[in-house]
Amino acid sequence: MTALTAGAARGTVRPRTGLRKRTHWLRWAGIAFIALWTLIPLYWTLNTSLQTDAQVSSKPAYYVPPTPSLHNYATLLTGSGDVPDSIRSSFVNIMIECVAATVITVILSTLAAYAFARMQFRGRQVLFYAVLATMAFPAYTTLIPLYKIMTWFGLVNTYTGIVLVYVSGFLPLATWILYNYMSSLPVAIEEAASIDGAGRMQVLRHVVIPLAWPGIVSTAIITFLFAWGQFLFPLVLSSDDSTEPLTVVIASLQGRHVVPFSLMSAAGIIAIAIPAVIAVLLNRFIVSGLLTGSVK
Amino acid sequence: MTVGYATDDRPALREEPGPVRRRRRAIDPLPWLLVSPLMLFIIGLALVPAAFTIGASFFRVQELNPPTEFNGIQNFVKLFSDSAIVSSMGNTALYVVIGVVLSTVLGIVFAMVLQQNFRGRSVLIAVLILPWALPGVVEGIVWVNIWDGNTGLLNSVLTSLHLIGHYQVFLGQNQLVTILLIEIVQVWQITPLSALLILAALQNIPGDLYEAASLDGASPWQIFSRVTLPLARPGITVAMVQAVIATLNVFDQPYVLNGAASTGSSLTMETYFVSFQSLDFGEGYALSLLITVVTLIVSFLVLKLVYRPVEF
Repeated sequence: MTALTAGAARGTVRPRTGLRKRTHWLRWAGIAFIALWTLIPLYWTLNTSLQTDAQVSSKPAYYVPPTPSLHNYATLLTGSGDVPDSIRSSFVNIMIECVAATVITVILSTLAAYAFARMQFRGRQVLFYAVLATMAFPAYTTLIPLYKIMTWFGLVNTYTGIVLVYVSGFLPLATWILYNYMSSLPVAIEEAASIDGAGRMQVLRHVVIPLAWPGIVSTAIITFLFAWGQFLFPLVLSSDDSTEPLTVVIASLQGRHVVPFSLMSAAGIIAIAIPAVIAVLLNRFIVSGLLTGSVK
Repeated sequence: MTVGYATDDRPALREEPGPVRRRRRAIDPLPWLLVSPLMLFIIGLALVPAAFTIGASFFRVQELNPPTEFNGIQNFVKLFSDSAIVSSMGNTALYVVIGVVLSTVLGIVFAMVLQQNFRGRSVLIAVLILPWALPGVVEGIVWVNIWDGNTGLLNSVLTSLHLIGHYQVFLGQNQLVTILLIEIVQVWQITPLSALLILAALQNIPGDLYEAASLDGASPWQIFSRVTLPLARPGITVAMVQAVIATLNVFDQPYVLNGAASTGSSLTMETYFVSFQSLDFGEGYALSLLITVVTLIVSFLVLKLVYRPVEF
């Protein structure tokens, strides 16, 4: 199940000679379709971001930038003014919120998954199912009450408020992925360590965490990407530039219709650069994490 | 703390006689310590708020217009007399139908492509997963560039091919077209996960079943409909359930692509408008509860209709 990326996996189809020609043609059509369907929209945004305003409004459009220029990126990253300022501050905000949410989620879910996977205690099943049950509910069920709770505690428009909400939302899946991962590890090594006198926390630190490392990395990446994609929660929980993440700022720029397409596209590329690099380079961890998280 | 190291399936160690007597039934605080931070989050920021949504949807809660008082099912009655909400119900139903069908069909096709063994397969998986990993809001911006009436790629291509005479405005005119175009953006985002889930199911199908079927003279279509499809049902079910949850709660894409316009507003968007713009939280709670209940029911129905256990 986790070997999807490993080339010739079990059950791959080797067509017999009679079928070969036809399936060969179909296969390449399918590959081309997946690549074009995924990449054309992204290419188009990149293409728009490298043009000037005047070039963007030409009809028909330029399918490659006639005079490619990083001018829009320079404006956003180093220019002065309302729009560049809010793009830069919201970039800092989204980094802080995503990193904090990821670190806390991974630590807490590792501890809890270890207890659920390896210890007997009263109420274990009830607690575990309570955690899993929250995954069946759509995230927005709790939107308004969470806003109320954050208002009561004075946490609206603070990093703390946003991070607390993210962590509560991502913990169930993170715990589930790590529980499955730890349960699949052989117990023998941990037994040997504990017979040698290691305490349970030492076993966790020196045996379980190193062995479960790929699962922990998967969990961290998936949590980070989920946090990066959040929109409605920060839209409600942030009220100004001091905590608004990039997603909220970009949507509000789009809504105002004053920012030209070329500049919007550059902002979009800035907002997807980090998750895109993570997805392409670390897709192996994402695939295995998602599949342990969903197929059971 | 260093004494009792217990796991589910290790009776041997626990019963092992030794100089140190293990107190099996004594209260051991460590597991509770380990799960308590998680439980604090789950109880405080998930279970309690969920209970709150259920309870408060039967109360009149208007921030600017107190008092807050019990008003039975009035909030729900109001939902069905609010024309913006009623039209968003229709819109959302269309989002769900279009989104679940398209993402499942594409997911099956993509999974069958990725089931093949070819050079560059792992690169294609890395590419495939991209839309899943990117924020929905930014994907909205990406696709605005394609659907836009003044500068969009679609208009440019269609006029170059002489399929349309001049640039058209696609979004916000006709309800069905608007919803279809917005939902394609969401399908773009959720299909990678569908494809991976279905691919995992396909790879559990033993290769000799295909061999046997083709030796028996089955056509490729017969192999697909009699072997592949039925045996991939568990994966298809999970893919469809994730699509149901995503589409019934769609927010980012219509919000960015079509704003508050009634041609594309979804139930979750109306929840946001009712609660945080009209500040009628009671109605917002009721609408949240409605969406939650419908999501659970539809997911359950999909599970019942599509899922069949598969044994190899």
